Amino acid sequence: MKKKAIGQAGWLWTGLASIVAFIYFFPVLFIILTAFRSRSDTLATPPKWFFTPTFENFYHIFFRAMANSTEYVATGFHVYFFNSIYISGMSVLLALLIGTLAAYGFSRHPLRGNDTYLFIILTTRMLPPIIVIVPIFLIFRITGLAGTYTGIILMYTAFNLPFSIWMMKSFFDELNTEIEDASRMDGASERSVFFGVCIPQVKAGLAATSVFALILTWNEFLFSLLLTNKLTRTMPPAMARTIGGEINVDYGLLAAMICLFIIPIFLITYLLQNQLLRGVTFGTIKK
Amino acid sequence: MSTIELQNLTKAFDKLIAVNNVSLKVEENEVLCLLGPSGCGKTTTLRMVAGLEVATSGDILIGNNNVNNLDTRDRNLAMAFQFYALYPSLSVAENLANPLHAENLSDEQIKKKIFEVADILQLKDIINRKPHQLAEGEKQRVAVGRAIIRDPQCFLFDEPLSRLDVQLREQMRGQIKEVLSDLKKATVIVTHDQLEALTMATKIAVMRDGLIEQISSPHDIFAKPNNTFVAGFIGTPQMNILDCKIIEINSSIMKINILGQEVKIDFKTPLDVNTNDSYFIGIRPRSFEIVDNNESDNFSGTIDLIENMGSEILVHIKINESTFRAVLSRSHRLNIGNTINLKPKEGQVHLFNKDGKVIRDE
Repeated sequence: MKKKAIGQAGWLWTGLASIVAFIYFFPVLFIILTAFRSRSDTLATPPKWFFTPTFENFYHIFFRAMANSTEYVATGFHVYFFNSIYISGMSVLLALLIGTLAAYGFSRHPLRGNDTYLFIILTTRMLPPIIVIVPIFLIFRITGLAGTYTGIILMYTAFNLPFSIWMMKSFFDELNTEIEDASRMDGASERSVFFGVCIPQVKAGLAATSVFALILTWNEFLFSLLLTNKLTRTMPPAMARTIGGEINVDYGLLAAMICLFIIPIFLITYLLQNQLLRGVTFGTIKK
Repeated sequence: MSTIELQNLTKAFDKLIAVNNVSLKVEENEVLCLLGPSGCGKTTTLRMVAGLEVATSGDILIGNNNVNNLDTRDRNLAMAFQFYALYPSLSVAENLANPLHAENLSDEQIKKKIFEVADILQLKDIINRKPHQLAEGEKQRVAVGRAIIRDPQCFLFDEPLSRLDVQLREQMRGQIKEVLSDLKKATVIVTHDQLEALTMATKIAVMRDGLIEQISSPHDIFAKPNNTFVAGFIGTPQMNILDCKIIEINSSIMKINILGQEVKIDFKTPLDVNTNDSYFIGIRPRSFEIVDNNESDNFSGTIDLIENMGSEILVHIKINESTFRAVLSRSHRLNIGNTINLKPKEGQVHLFNKDGKVIRDE
């Protein structure tokens, strides 16, 4: 075998990597293709790889004929789409805000028994959500939070906080505290040390934390299923309703919904890609 | 007035006492070096002066005002940090300008100041670069520049040269000394490098385990160490500190048993010692001269090892299974196994009691 220059993998490895990548991407590709198939093409066995694409499924997400009728009626599906964006956006924003402040506190002004508190924060995430859902459901019923935007946003914020705190703390821990001391010497107040010196240095961390939190929230199913109502429901339980209940499952319709569902998260991850890479690899400051 | 005074300053981290009852005063135009091995509390002391660390007890006076309860930014000090602490996203000029923002100067005035400092520290060519594009020496100069751009009451330097290579260090030592002598302020420099302290300071405070062992001028620290720690810490190669016993006292001249040999040493003045008591004797490796014959005033030993030091040689001499070291001129043609006679130079022998405290007639 010819010796490769360092820094080049060569065609063989690139080819292998592309095969693995294709296997990973295949389910997504299959769903995307299904979304553009007509109803009869969807059900064909073996699957039809060549077909005339149609936007029928996408249209049916929003307008559908009710049983025994030829008239198309608005399904109101856009509400779920909006709910998903609004609820995830708000809760990630809140978790990031509170999490960053808390992480800074844990990192720079440790409590007595700091690690114990950090551990306790994480314990809520050690259990599968199904275990905590019953008490939470009761709390929501008693407080009247069930079915409200506030309720589900608070739920997701709490759900994202442990992760945000831990992640942001590790970013703050990485920083060279001398720079903060230097800005104190230069006359900065504690507030400007935080906003002017620390926050700009952990931008990559903020990006990484928000993307990971967003993905978790965006795809969350169980809490949304049980704690929202018809008006505040997010996409995952809404999509699930499409599978069940009807006489048979309209896979084309479901695939079209999934296609719409992945667009926002896809865009955000793509836009923050560079920050994300820097975020998860750390080492932004040479010590 | 630019002075720094510490009164009984103590800092405890839980059970560890990092700084123990430190009192000292730095006058205007004086450069004090806090010198000591790592972990001796010198940086903690500096950080307490800066207000970055809160003292457990004691007082800090800057310009005769007690600043115990003042925030860092209200103490009007400037500090250069060990790792330079430059803002990574700002250019050299912006880094230099940062301390000035709190002073409400016009853009014109800020620009003028930046150019003044850039001129003094030769930063003009790199004024628009970001810290990650700078070499170590350049970063260090920017850090110094950022400290001197304002007109603070006092200056603090935390290991300013520790990250530079030997050549650059020598060069910067001179440059910082020059800058400091122009500023005429009370300055505190923290360092573990004795050469840095001996060259830059007007006063040195040697610290160990949170305590100040001695505060003196660089010359006195070297020539008149107060105890065996200071004696051993200052000066390279290290001072020989040997067990000894006094045999006979005849006014200032004493006959002392050192490593089994009886040697007559003239201390110039009578000392408060007793015959037959054990002491430590300290002689620097450079305080020996070779003599031809073994007389009553010199040692005789065999050469165990010879280390090359350039123009000089460091000779390890063995007497009765103990070794001590002497720095001698290369012109003596010496070989391992030779017997040599060494006479301690007059006035360069130190006597310490068993607690390590010096015995000296002041």
